[in-house]
Amino acid sequence: MAVASNTSPMIRKSESASQWWTRWLDPSERTLAVLLLLPAALLLSLIIVYPVVRLVWTSFQNLSLTSGVPAKFSGLENYALMLEDPIFWEATWNTVLITLITVPGALVFGLALALMANLPFKRKWPVRLSLLIPWALPLSFAGLIFAWFFHSEYGVVNDILRRVGISGIIWFNSAGWAFAAICLTIIWKTSSFMALIILAGLQTIPRSLYEAADVDGAGRLRQFFEITLPLLKPAIVVALIFRTITALQTFDIPFTMTRGGPGTSTSTLAMYIHQNTVDFLDLGYGSALAVVMFAISMCVTTVYLRMIRTKG
Amino acid sequence: MKLNRSLTLLLAGAAMTLTASAASAQTNLRVFVSSQHRPDVWRKAFDMYEAKNPSVKVTIETGGNTSEAQAQYLNTIMTAKDASLDVMILDVIRPAQYAAAGWTVAFNDVIGKDADTYMKRYLPAYAEANTVDGKIVALPAFADAMFLYYRKDLLEKYGIEAPKTWDELTAAAKKVMEGEKDPNLQGLSFQGKAIEGAVCTFLLPYWSMGKQLVSNGKLNFDREAAVKSLAMWKGFVDQGVAKKNISEVATDDTRKEFQAGNVLFAVNWSYAWGQFQGADSAVKDKVGVVKLPAVKGGEPASCLGGWEWGVSAYSNNKTEAQKFVQFASSPEVSEFMAINAALLPQFGEVYTDADVTKAVPWFASARPVVETAKTRPVTPRYNEVSDIIRTTVNAVLAGTSTPEQGAEQMEGRLRRVLR
Repeated sequence: MAVASNTSPMIRKSESASQWWTRWLDPSERTLAVLLLLPAALLLSLIIVYPVVRLVWTSFQNLSLTSGVPAKFSGLENYALMLEDPIFWEATWNTVLITLITVPGALVFGLALALMANLPFKRKWPVRLSLLIPWALPLSFAGLIFAWFFHSEYGVVNDILRRVGISGIIWFNSAGWAFAAICLTIIWKTSSFMALIILAGLQTIPRSLYEAADVDGAGRLRQFFEITLPLLKPAIVVALIFRTITALQTFDIPFTMTRGGPGTSTSTLAMYIHQNTVDFLDLGYGSALAVVMFAISMCVTTVYLRMIRTKG
Repeated sequence: MKLNRSLTLLLAGAAMTLTASAASAQTNLRVFVSSQHRPDVWRKAFDMYEAKNPSVKVTIETGGNTSEAQAQYLNTIMTAKDASLDVMILDVIRPAQYAAAGWTVAFNDVIGKDADTYMKRYLPAYAEANTVDGKIVALPAFADAMFLYYRKDLLEKYGIEAPKTWDELTAAAKKVMEGEKDPNLQGLSFQGKAIEGAVCTFLLPYWSMGKQLVSNGKLNFDREAAVKSLAMWKGFVDQGVAKKNISEVATDDTRKEFQAGNVLFAVNWSYAWGQFQGADSAVKDKVGVVKLPAVKGGEPASCLGGWEWGVSAYSNNKTEAQKFVQFASSPEVSEFMAINAALLPQFGEVYTDADVTKAVPWFASARPVVETAKTRPVTPRYNEVSDIIRTTVNAVLAGTSTPEQGAEQMEGRLRRVLR
């Protein structure tokens, strides 16, 4: 840095010659900055800006591959259709509900797991490894595995229930139970991610604080609420942001477990987008739905970022 | 080390020259075959083509185990304008859709002027399903329809005839189930999961009441008949004739459970027959097959199935692919597949062919069923129509909505699609 600022006046002088090749050879700090940022900016606009702009543009079009007619600009028609589409509302509501249930659920379980993993074990790696496994498992695998766990006839969950004398539940035969099964699976799958981030946070808390608290005669519970939790806040907020955004995009687990069934009672917004674009080939409507999901994600992220900023 | 590397280089070079020279002489056709329709037997049929046409090499690609999974895969390939597939097998509901999307090429040019007589060789339903606005968009691979399978041994034991109406079926199932006292025995198995088969589940009694879903491209929904149809299936569950979680049952679940000896009556496609007669089947030689029952006072109705060969619009070998498809949809292949894979022929006369009736005796009585089977609505937006029907059937069977609510939702949603 120091070298760069020292040489800059010299470079600026040579720039006054304003010959393009000299500028190219001895770039000023500004051009240097532009040059250095250019590859990243190009890459980002290629993989983020272009698709988003294209998505918004498609959402204003009447573009269905099965209609046999070419794309036509249709203004807000797709958005108007959405308002009176009962499945859209159902899917959106389910998505919100999944977020409201699984994010706090994963936080509580993740915190508990992190606290357990932070205990002074002789061997740390088996604990850490078992914490990592659910996180490393692809979502769709988790969905398929749990679909078998909850299977009404061959599933291990009903087997256990029967052994303790409760007659088996046909999980995927009722909207409520199917929803519960999905939420349990998501919580299992995502708690370990929460736990990993929180565990990292836990390890930054100095032991001396606890020792001091011990001397002052504070109990375990008091220590947790007065020391651990407040100092974990930044880690928890980061974990919550990531988890909430992925929860709003929930797709794999309900898709592999219930396909949105029974009926459409467990379908999510992401699944409805997938269905409209991949199955129905209605790219216009699918894009409009995706724009709505994008907007929701942006809003939630903004709220969280504000929260961090005011806290900071 | 050094020797090794130069050897590898030499080998790679040789391999490249070899493939290059082979490619110039040979056409490679990549054919998508549905995994549930005996790709092993198709392979043998394609070997016959390769033997006759040494310059063509046919590779089979297969994947997905349901019609929807395969459609999803093919949809992705086609939207990406991927040239890797030349020929694909399509469920009978899809050729119209694929043609509308511009994903298949028409056969009119290769067949020539007498396209009409060419198509007349096939059963009328298949000539129709593959012709859109005078264009031949695909050629039939084999026929299919839904049948009622039953346990011959059990019906004989209780002196019951194969049922002709759904009411008779209920009575027969109750009688046998009471007598057998086997908690694992289901009276009736059908498709209640939200899959393509559930569309037929809904339509069977609906059609049997003489109603149509779509006429002249417009929705022709009969709410009363729809309620009755949904109520009939839910009734089987409520009366204990069908199992409680029938909403989880897909086509092949019905087949497996019947094959394991746990089902008295089963609604299924023709492919199940071959499996029931297989060596590992618990019901070998104990199975009867008849046309599906009717509603009281109605005509029996079956759902037309069958699969068609389409040539991808993005293929680099369209002409060779079309020639190949003409072979794959010919009477000789039809006969071969009937004998070796028990796939129903798309040609009327193959049903009564001596070799075929020897291998699969019941085919002779299957012909009238296929000939009178009804087609699901032909519309480019079929996927949406299908989704609406099957999710409603699934919701009603799971008890999350009543037959009345189901029919109302179905009508509302169908109106949005078929405006």
